[in-house]
Amino acid sequence: MGILCYCIFLLGWANTWEDIRRESKKIHSVSAQFSQKKHVQILTRPLVSKGFFYFQAPDSVRWEYTSPIKSVLITHKGNIKRYTQGEKGLVEDAGGPLEAMQIVLQEIGRWTRGEFTENEHFSATLKGGKAPSIILTPKEKGMAAMISRVVITLSPDRQGVIKTVKIFENEGNHTLFEFTDVQINGKISETLFREM
Amino acid sequence: MKAFVVPGRWVIIVTMMALIISCARLPVIEPVGLAAMPDTRERCHRPFLDSSYRFIHAIEVSFPGGRRGTVMGITLVDPSDKTVHSVIMTIEGFVLFDARYEKEMRVNRALPPFDAEQFAGYMMDDVRLMFLAPEGKLADAGVLADGSTACRYHGNKGTTVDVVVHKDDSWNIETYSNSNELLRKIRAVEVRNGIPNMVELHGFGFREYTLRLKLISAEAVSPRVNQAPPGDIPEDEE
Repeated sequence: MGILCYCIFLLGWANTWEDIRRESKKIHSVSAQFSQKKHVQILTRPLVSKGFFYFQAPDSVRWEYTSPIKSVLITHKGNIKRYTQGEKGLVEDAGGPLEAMQIVLQEIGRWTRGEFTENEHFSATLKGGKAPSIILTPKEKGMAAMISRVVITLSPDRQGVIKTVKIFENEGNHTLFEFTDVQINGKISETLFREM
Repeated sequence: MKAFVVPGRWVIIVTMMALIISCARLPVIEPVGLAAMPDTRERCHRPFLDSSYRFIHAIEVSFPGGRRGTVMGITLVDPSDKTVHSVIMTIEGFVLFDARYEKEMRVNRALPPFDAEQFAGYMMDDVRLMFLAPEGKLADAGVLADGSTACRYHGNKGTTVDVVVHKDDSWNIETYSNSNELLRKIRAVEVRNGIPNMVELHGFGFREYTLRLKLISAEAVSPRVNQAPPGDIPEDEE
C-alpha cells in the first residue's frame, strides 16, 4: 500500500484543492529516497525498510526497496512488473498481487491528477497552514476494513514535495513513509522504468 | 457383464494403490546404545526453541505452475505455553494476516488470499512444526545411514514426525500421515547460534506449496512484557 503514496509527490503545497490541481500539472518527474517504518503490535520497535522512488509523467513509476528485502515495482506504459529477491536473485512475481496492484495504481492515477475530491473510494480533507496535510478517509466498508485513514503531510517550504505519508490500518498498526533528497523535474533515465 | 468387469479392474487398481501406499516406509533409524541416548535426545531438540523468540523473515511463497510472491513474516513464539503470534504483510508494510494461537485460534485480520477456510490453522501448524518440539511420544531415537541424528515422534492422530539433525547442525523435520505419506518437509540450513538463516518448507498432498524463509532478524523476547498495547501510536508520528 505504500505504493499508493507516490502520487503525493505530484502535489504542490496549497491551501485549496484548486491549488493542488494547479501544482500537480507542473511536475513532470520526481526522484527521492524513502524510509518506511512499520509499526505492528507484535513488534516493540518499528520495522524499517529503505529504498528509492522515481516517477516520470504521465504514469511511469519505479518503487525500489533496497533493505531489508530487495524488491522493485515498475509501472510503465500500462505494464506492471514486480521483482522480489528469490533463491536465484531478483525474480519476477507471478500471481494475484499484481492484479491488486493494478487497482491500486488506478487509484494513484486519480491522486496524481489532484483528483482527491472526486475520489470514489476516499473522502478527502485538506488542512492548510504552515504544515499542510491531507487526510483521506475510506468511503466504503470494504476499504475501511483495511485502512482507517491516510495522512499526507506536505513540505511547508517546497511546493510539490511530500514530507511524510502515514497509513493507518486497524488493530493499531500503521506505516510511516518519510521522503528525503526529493528532486523535482530532474532528468530520469527511461531505462529505470524498463529494466530491473 | 461388461459393467461388472470394469468395477472389478478398479477394485484391483485401488487395492494395488492401497498396497503401495501401505508399503511406503519411513527412513530406518538405527538405535544407539543407552549411553548415547541422552546426547541423541539433546541433539534432536536443537531445532526447537527453549525460550521466547521474535523472528522476522522474508518469505518466498511458490506454488506448482510458477505462481510466486514474497511477503514479510513476523513470528512470536513462546515455547513455555506454546503460544504463537504470526503476522504476514506485504513488502510495502500492509498487514494481510494477523493471528494468535494461545490454546485457541484468534484471527485479528485475514485478507485474501489469507482468509481461506482453515488457512490460519494450517499456517499455525506449520509455524509450530518449525519452532516447537513435537508433542507426540518419542518412539525412536538413533542415527540414519548417513550418520545424522534422528528422532521419531508419534502423534495422537496417527501422524509421525521425524527430526533429523545433520553433522553440520543443519536439520530436517518431516511429517508423515498414518499411511506414511509425506505431508511436510522442512529443511533448515546456515545455522548460527541455533538459529537457521534459511528455512525451506514443502507442503505435499492436496495443495502443494513451498515456503522459503530468509531470516531478517531473530530476537529473544519476553512477549507478555514487550508487546505494545492495542492502538499504541507514538505521538511524535501523529
